[in-house]
Amino acid sequence: MSQQPVRILFVDDEERILRTLAMQFRRHYQVFTESDPQKVMALLQQQPMDIVVSDQRMPGMSGSQLLAQVQQDYPHTLRILLTGYSDLEAAVEALNSGGIFRYLTKPWVTSEMVATLAQASNMVLRQRASQSNVMPISSARSNRSAERANLLLLDNDPQTLAVTQQLCVENQIKLFHARSLDEAVRLLNEQSLDMLVSDIQLDGNDVRPLLMTLAQAHPQLLSIIITPFQDTQVLLKLINQAQIFRYLPKPIRRGMYQRAISTALAQVEEWRQQPAPVVTRLAATPVVAEEQSRVNGLMGMLGRLRQRLTA
Amino acid sequence: MSSQHTLASLLKSVEPLHARLTVNDVAERLLQPDFKGFLSLPVVDDDNRPLGLVSRYRLQDIFMQRFGRDLWGGHPVQHAVNTESLVVPVHTPLEAAASIITAQVQYPVTEDFILVDGEGRYLGLGTLMDLLKAMEQRGAQRNQTLQRALRELKHSQAHLVQSEKMASLGQMVAGVAHELNTPLGYVRNNVQLLQELVEPIIGLAQAQAQLGACLADPQTEQAQLEQALLAVQQATEQAAPEYFSADFTPLIEDTLYGVDQLAELAVSLKDFARLDRAMSEAINLNDCIASALVIARNTLKDKAEVITRLDELPPITCTPSQINQVLLNLLTNAAQAMDRPGKILLRSWVDDGQVHLSLQDNGRGMPKEVQRRIFDPFFTTKAVGEGTGLGLAISYKIIQEHGGRIRFVSEPGRGTRFLISLPIHQAASSAPLDLQRSA
Repeated sequence: MSQQPVRILFVDDEERILRTLAMQFRRHYQVFTESDPQKVMALLQQQPMDIVVSDQRMPGMSGSQLLAQVQQDYPHTLRILLTGYSDLEAAVEALNSGGIFRYLTKPWVTSEMVATLAQASNMVLRQRASQSNVMPISSARSNRSAERANLLLLDNDPQTLAVTQQLCVENQIKLFHARSLDEAVRLLNEQSLDMLVSDIQLDGNDVRPLLMTLAQAHPQLLSIIITPFQDTQVLLKLINQAQIFRYLPKPIRRGMYQRAISTALAQVEEWRQQPAPVVTRLAATPVVAEEQSRVNGLMGMLGRLRQRLTA
Repeated sequence: MSSQHTLASLLKSVEPLHARLTVNDVAERLLQPDFKGFLSLPVVDDDNRPLGLVSRYRLQDIFMQRFGRDLWGGHPVQHAVNTESLVVPVHTPLEAAASIITAQVQYPVTEDFILVDGEGRYLGLGTLMDLLKAMEQRGAQRNQTLQRALRELKHSQAHLVQSEKMASLGQMVAGVAHELNTPLGYVRNNVQLLQELVEPIIGLAQAQAQLGACLADPQTEQAQLEQALLAVQQATEQAAPEYFSADFTPLIEDTLYGVDQLAELAVSLKDFARLDRAMSEAINLNDCIASALVIARNTLKDKAEVITRLDELPPITCTPSQINQVLLNLLTNAAQAMDRPGKILLRSWVDDGQVHLSLQDNGRGMPKEVQRRIFDPFFTTKAVGEGTGLGLAISYKIIQEHGGRIRFVSEPGRGTRFLISLPIHQAASSAPLDLQRSA
């Protein structure tokens, strides 16, 4: 196994940000910096990176645009946005086309930044380990029927339900519909699910603690959030603490939804080809005590799911 | 209510004349005091339908002819009736009636008008005088309503101007908040790094002080000295003083730079708002440009490169907070007109009694139909909720009230250029001050 250090690239048009970050992290990682986002792709060709941390607003190219390109060419490079501007549009773009691991805001808290990069590098190391472990490739789950994946819908909105039903038929996905949180927990325990489609509220109940719990209990479940809520803070938390896969506006537009489903399907199928389970998500733990206790509570209810996954 | 709004209120009941009466009989009638107020009398048929009016004027004409009275006096009045007289249904709205009547009335005015019911049967007479009075009253009432509407409109306009100001202020604050976050980010981190960097240096200094004390004390035993020396060696290793200054100096420099940046932003914010000065003399327009650019830096950064070519300018009299509002508005519009990263060229110069400022972008430009309307209040090409459609309307007003001009040329696909010209010496008017109060 290679003992190569984790390589991190910081991208920011303010050199002083780059200097301070480089100085802080050079002892633990191999740090690279670049102040011109347009030179990043050329740099990556010469020197592949494990983690890219980028500013959002830069001349010539935005951070979310850059991270989208990185995602396309180097899907295994972890992408983090570090920005002083809480801009919903940028956050949505960074998630939906940049598939970001975290959305951090300036000015950052040093210990949080340290923890985030530690988590990211932890994931990088585990990924490396799973790739170097030679294991026979298990052929796609044989006990499965013709369906390509299983999807759980946790939403009672008739329009979302109708479009989801259509898309599931067209994409050969088996649909499970949970009308309540209890039903969702039951289905999560009983079924082997690949995707979750949910709003952040279900009949007035907050779904977010469940989403956060699932990020920890079932890291391979891809969650697509379809919601009318347009709040940057809510989205940032969902990215950082629930590691959601996509954030789409409600009422849902079919084309957008179809694209999210196909990308998720491709992801699910790629994972199935992997010899060993890949570390796919690693969510930050909730900071607020009350939220943490709700997550812990749900974690207990998802016991059977965890048993199955760790078995 | 209906009588207020229809001719009914003007109706005067006058007994109609029969067509078989003679001209002389009618003349007699017209001389009676009851009919003094009328120019004419109505003539009806057996079915009470009006045939027309017979006027004093017409009778005069007859009687003024030589032997007129003798020749015509005994004839039925029917021949003297004007069959083209004005006949108006009584339920006609006042306005409609007025326009029918004014369209048909001829000079000199010789007749009144006939009012009929829905069936066309005679009801009475109306006089032009009464109609005029009614219309005048109407006009006065309408005027009052208009005055009230105008007052309300002015009030809500002041409201809108205020909300546009708040919107641009909000945009500015958001931009500046981000500007603050960047220096805050590295200054905070640097201070934390400095702390980590300096702590072992303090340890080293303490160890060295102890070693110094040992050396100075003749009583020190060999073992004690060796221990102190070892402590210094360990502390030196920890602190790595040979690397220290290489790290320390840039951290301090960057931190100071960041603090200066924060201070500059605070000054720009203050300059930008200029709450301490309303209408002011001796303002350098270039300073306004500089502070608007600092405020807009963040909006512009990822959209356009700003090039400035500013000539020396004489001080002018203006309200800087308003000029800044105009500049920020033009800069934001230019940034929003960029489909891909572009350029904004800002120039200022002076000639015959005026300072000029030109702001040129190579954005998407405006089609003709947009160009025609850009200064119209509420006209916007931005999505709902993104613009009030008042930015340029207010900019126009501000420049106008400064006695200046704002003009533009634009070409789709090539960009837009705005030109602002302001007089160096304000005409002795308090207009901008006035605006300051209302805006």
